Amino acid sequence: MRQGDAIVVDAMTTSRQRRRRYMTWSLVLLLALTLVLPLIPYAVEYAQVNDSSLVPNPGADLWRDVRQRDNPVMGQTQVRGVDTGVLIYKSGEDWRIFRMQWLAPYGAIFMGTVLGLTILFYLVRGRVPIPGGRSGKKILRFNLNQRMVHWFTVGIFLLLALTGFILLYGRFVLIPLLGPEGFSITASACKEAHNLFGPLFLFAMLLLIITFVKDNFYERGDLSWMITGGGLLGEDTDAGRFNAAQKAWFWIATVFGLALCITGLILDFAVIGQSREIMAISHVIHGTSAVVMTGVLFGHIYWATAGMEGGMESMTTGYVDANWAEAHHNRWYEEVKNEGEIEKPSEKPGPGSASAIGVASPHPGD
Amino acid sequence: MARMKFFCDAERCIECNGCVTACKNENDVPWGVNRRRVVTIKDGEPGERSLSVACMHCSDAPCEAVCPVDCFYTTDDGLVLHDKDICIGCGYCFYACPFGAPQFPTTNAFGSRGKMDKCTFCAGGPLEDLSAEEKTKYGSNRLAEGKLPLCAEMCATKALLAGDADVLADIYRKRVINRGASVMDWGVNYQKASLRAGRSQKGKASSNN
Repeated sequence: MRQGDAIVVDAMTTSRQRRRRYMTWSLVLLLALTLVLPLIPYAVEYAQVNDSSLVPNPGADLWRDVRQRDNPVMGQTQVRGVDTGVLIYKSGEDWRIFRMQWLAPYGAIFMGTVLGLTILFYLVRGRVPIPGGRSGKKILRFNLNQRMVHWFTVGIFLLLALTGFILLYGRFVLIPLLGPEGFSITASACKEAHNLFGPLFLFAMLLLIITFVKDNFYERGDLSWMITGGGLLGEDTDAGRFNAAQKAWFWIATVFGLALCITGLILDFAVIGQSREIMAISHVIHGTSAVVMTGVLFGHIYWATAGMEGGMESMTTGYVDANWAEAHHNRWYEEVKNEGEIEKPSEKPGPGSASAIGVASPHPGD
Repeated sequence: MARMKFFCDAERCIECNGCVTACKNENDVPWGVNRRRVVTIKDGEPGERSLSVACMHCSDAPCEAVCPVDCFYTTDDGLVLHDKDICIGCGYCFYACPFGAPQFPTTNAFGSRGKMDKCTFCAGGPLEDLSAEEKTKYGSNRLAEGKLPLCAEMCATKALLAGDADVLADIYRKRVINRGASVMDWGVNYQKASLRAGRSQKGKASSNN
């Protein structure tokens, strides 16, 4: 009796346990299927991709590593030298694009535009004469030392600019004229001259800066000079020893000239283990600076020669006419007049001075 | 005409530098000039691979584009060669080349480098084929003798191949298929390959390449 009771209770508990177990397992199975079934298409695709004939290039990972643009892979090699461990040097292509698609065409366009504008300006404006003609009185503007430094820099710069631009444009301009062999000799001479005389330009630049820097700092009146275009647009033409345009030229020459020197030395002396990348960057700065400096130089040469009467002689003889000084550099003129530095009347007064009456605003830089 | 190319199989190159030695010896290049070099990536780490690099004789060669004296020319075989009588040694090709192929005998002050030297695919230069002058200036002209570049001919594992680009592509495609068949996995896994190499795979690699 007691035993039978126990059996019934046992049967009841076991059936309840079994039901619970079934429920748990079916729940787990259901869950598992909901998670796994959607993955079947992926599995199928994975199996298809792994078909033997579609195995990717076994070197793919290697090449992906090697070609990564931002993270160049450095390898090991038995060949000693700079950058020999670099398998693919990506920046070479950037440099090629810079030189062939930027520097050469846009440099030519920039320099040609400046030259064209200068010629156009001359045709429209003509030569600016000395207001009131030549007085015959002379003022020392540049002493022998200053003139020598100036012409030394000019000589070196023109040599370097000429040889440099022959190397940049000769292939397009001179090969058709001289033939490949002829141009090869020219280019070789240009390269040697550029490389040998290049370092002298640093010397010249330093001399130039030391000689002229003291008169080229900003002064009151420079801004209004610049705004009025030195008298081209308005009446205000107040200027010291150097006007604002001359000061701007001085600082452009200083900045770009020194940039040319430093990058030039990096390119010229490839013996300190500098990489191709550094040399390519140096070349970018070198080429850009050369183009900018040459373009601005056209303006400087224009005002010193064709654009204005009486300016050029300050750099050849060292003396300027008092009337010229008074018109273009009035504050400087007042200074030297007060110090009594005006020289005796020269022997022969300028012949062209008669036509100078009545022309307005002759005040740009020289 | 065939388009000549080099191809280096990174799965086969064992960095023995045999190609470098063959090149230097065959072309008698001066000290310091290495027309070919072997670069090892991840040296001593998992995934180490080596590649033999020289002039790749590009279709749109950067050296040819930037040369200020236009001394490069492309042959009918697609080889990029240059004329040392025209070259002024400015080094621009070296700045532009992605493979570091152009070499210079010297690197001195004042930009003095000497005439550029690079891999010619053992095809000499613009001078008369197999002349003594060509030999001294440009090295060997094996192509004129009907032979392929010595670096590839000497390669012990046949990692470095030289020749018609179509033929090379065929060879490489077969190699890749066989590698895939033997491992059935992404890339190549030699550990798995050795475990799975059953009867069906035996002899396949040798019969196809």
